[in-house]
Amino acid sequence: MQFRLEKRREPSQAMVYATPVAAVVLTMVVGAILFSLIGYDGVGAVREIFLTPLTNSFKWQDLGVKAAPLIIIGTGLSIAYRANVWNIGAEGQYIMGGLAATWVALATYGMTGWWILPLMLVAGVLGGAAYAAIPALLKTRLNVNEILTSLMLTYASVQLIYYLVRAPWKDPMGMGFPQTRIFSEAARLPTIIPTTIVHLGVPIAIVVALVAWFVMSRSVFGYQMKVVGAAPHAARYGGFSENKTIWLALLVSGGLAGMAGMLEVAGPFQRMVPGFPTNYGFTAIIVAFLGRLNPLGVIFAGIVMAITFVGGEVAQTSIGLSNSATGVFQAMMLFFLLAGDILIRYRIRRVAPQAAGVAP
Amino acid sequence: MPYRLELTGITKRFPGVLANDNVTFAVKPGEIHALLGENGAGKSTLVKMIYGIMQPDAGEIRWDGSPVTVANPKAARKLGIGMVFQHFSLFEALTVLENIALGMDSKIPSRQLEARIRAVMTQYGLLLDPHRTVATLSVGERQRIEIVRALLLEPKLLIMDEPTSVLTPQEVEQLFEVLRKLAAEGCSILYISHKLHEIKALCDTATILRGGKLVDTCDPKQETSRSMAEKMIGAGLKDIVRGEGRSLGQPKLVVSRLSTAKTGHFDVPVDNVSFTVRAGEIFGIAGVAGNGQNALLDALSGEVRSGDKDAITLDGFPLGLLDTTGRRKRGLCAVPEERNGHAAVGDFTLSDNSVLTARDRLGMVMLGLINSGAAKTYTGRVIADFAVKALGPASTAGSLSGGNLQKYIMGREILQKPSVLVVSQPTWGVDAGAAAAIHQALVDLAAAGSAIVVISQDLDELRALCDTLAVINMGHLSPARPTGEMSVEEIGLLMGGVHGQAEARDAVPA
Repeated sequence: MQFRLEKRREPSQAMVYATPVAAVVLTMVVGAILFSLIGYDGVGAVREIFLTPLTNSFKWQDLGVKAAPLIIIGTGLSIAYRANVWNIGAEGQYIMGGLAATWVALATYGMTGWWILPLMLVAGVLGGAAYAAIPALLKTRLNVNEILTSLMLTYASVQLIYYLVRAPWKDPMGMGFPQTRIFSEAARLPTIIPTTIVHLGVPIAIVVALVAWFVMSRSVFGYQMKVVGAAPHAARYGGFSENKTIWLALLVSGGLAGMAGMLEVAGPFQRMVPGFPTNYGFTAIIVAFLGRLNPLGVIFAGIVMAITFVGGEVAQTSIGLSNSATGVFQAMMLFFLLAGDILIRYRIRRVAPQAAGVAP
Repeated sequence: MPYRLELTGITKRFPGVLANDNVTFAVKPGEIHALLGENGAGKSTLVKMIYGIMQPDAGEIRWDGSPVTVANPKAARKLGIGMVFQHFSLFEALTVLENIALGMDSKIPSRQLEARIRAVMTQYGLLLDPHRTVATLSVGERQRIEIVRALLLEPKLLIMDEPTSVLTPQEVEQLFEVLRKLAAEGCSILYISHKLHEIKALCDTATILRGGKLVDTCDPKQETSRSMAEKMIGAGLKDIVRGEGRSLGQPKLVVSRLSTAKTGHFDVPVDNVSFTVRAGEIFGIAGVAGNGQNALLDALSGEVRSGDKDAITLDGFPLGLLDTTGRRKRGLCAVPEERNGHAAVGDFTLSDNSVLTARDRLGMVMLGLINSGAAKTYTGRVIADFAVKALGPASTAGSLSGGNLQKYIMGREILQKPSVLVVSQPTWGVDAGAAAAIHQALVDLAAAGSAIVVISQDLDELRALCDTLAVINMGHLSPARPTGEMSVEEIGLLMGGVHGQAEARDAVPA
């Protein structure tokens, strides 16, 4: 017996939106079975990871804070992926954005003024964009695959943090801890809801996604991204340069990752520490796909992913589930999503080998 | 004597389409049988079932009198059915011999195979050197490989799918000789085409399909091309209507010494091409596929820019350094050969496809934002004016049939009223009705004073449409002459060029 994938005539539009939901549901079901099989309370694990963050109002602020960077980075990636530019190194661009913002914060240490935070934001965006410019340059000049270069640059940026917080930027009063000093008041993001940890980055994330949605659906820039991704040959015929598109896609996605880095370092962290890379840049890849490469979808996908992060922490304390469980659930979600996408475009047909020749 | 092949009540259904509906016909031994129909009439589906690529939903296939199930192409070859496809499956970097060896069902030592290949080539006059690399061969020669490959199996039925669409008139004549010889030896031939004069010249019987149904089985020698065409499209044919007493105006598009760089390994660049197209003129460029047509279109449209600003001028304004957008703004629009993925984006709606080329000329963009309302209105006009069968501007380009998509694309460019329109293969794979509509639209555009360049491999089309003709061969363009002064033989020789002549001499028959 043999199976074959056959292309469907017209992919169902309803299924395109149903798959992300189905992927989440399947992840919950299979996750429950899987963790039951290895001796945990599987149903409990799924409940803690997926439901507790929603039902426990104390966790809502955590959701917002975790979702914000995922939404911002995921929005940038959804734009680049539309153009078939596979920026896998958002984590590195996020780090470089964070470092650039840290640099501004340290350089203005002790100063006050409303302009410090905007300056940090600009530095963060530029830092992320500049770091994404390296794969762009290599891709357009030497045709080096951007997947490889952007990914590898991530590891270089991690080393840069380690160096900076151990030597030039080390907190002089830090008793030898490898970290910078806490930013002064003017370089810290204000919380927008008193007595919570919800900072200014949360509404910024929503605004970024909404603006991106408008730009992608209405502007020539969005059209260019989509047409280059869907049919590069037609894009050239329509007057869109492929190289320019690669540059734009990497600069925008890198810049947004850098912005997320700035918001994180000025918000929850308030200083640069070696633990700054928290894989937001990689998780945002799942967010972009789960959100159907649509900035509005990315908002929801970012919240779903934030739920698994927060829920993973809950499960860690309440039922002693290892923190890696979060990764397992997130990976399962991406797996089911991509599998679902294949089934939207193809159907599986069983091909029975037939005897050749003359019928009786 | 039983029929070689007998189809009874063959029906094949795809989701939403009845591709073949109760088709019944029979082929005698030694008969050259034409299968005639427009694109989408069900010819290919029918042939795929005979060759075992698909299975019929209902009906019976009889082979030499007994019912058979053709499970797959291998089983078909075992029965003695050979097929030469329209699109060749050859590895360009391998030799003729290696390509044939790869396609054999059973392993034959290469020396033995070469001897058999040479025997077949001599027997049928298919001149070809087995040790040449496919990349160096012309399309006609490549087709010979496919024919030899089929003949090595000593078929009793040979299926030829649109074999002449890529050949020069001389090559077509050579092919017909081979086919007649085969038929005389008792091999039946199922000849798929929509070129009526070829069918009249070659075939003993013609089966005509329309919309999946059998319309008629007739003797093409008793029919006129017109009567068969009308059976094929099920309606009266329209002739191209030209305005009386047309005169050509001032030179509009002037191309002088245009050359392009070689980009890929096997592609043909254009070399020092010069021509002038006047207002109101339709300028035809004939040539066998792969002789630099694509490079010429890309160089004219602006997809590939030349270093010389004066290589292309429009009304005296140099366009050479401008990109496609710049040239469009100046009034030069182009339609490439490949519809889906080049001239249009299959996944996009028709409305979004209008934005692709019409956004600047028709003001669909303001402050970097797309005015989707304007795109929709314009698309609606294209659909209405060019009778595009589509649900509306929101249908995806990929959901349209080839002919309808081509009508949409031509309409999208023509309604922008370009002062120069360059089109490649405007009616390739398009049914007769749509082709007539496209031809008429081009003639009307020229009558309104635009200069038009038509690059095509279809000589009939060029001769019917163009005022002036030139022939492209290996990237060189022959001097242009009025269409009426050039005979088919002359054009054919130019199409074959020096290239084709040299090959015939070099080939080793045995």
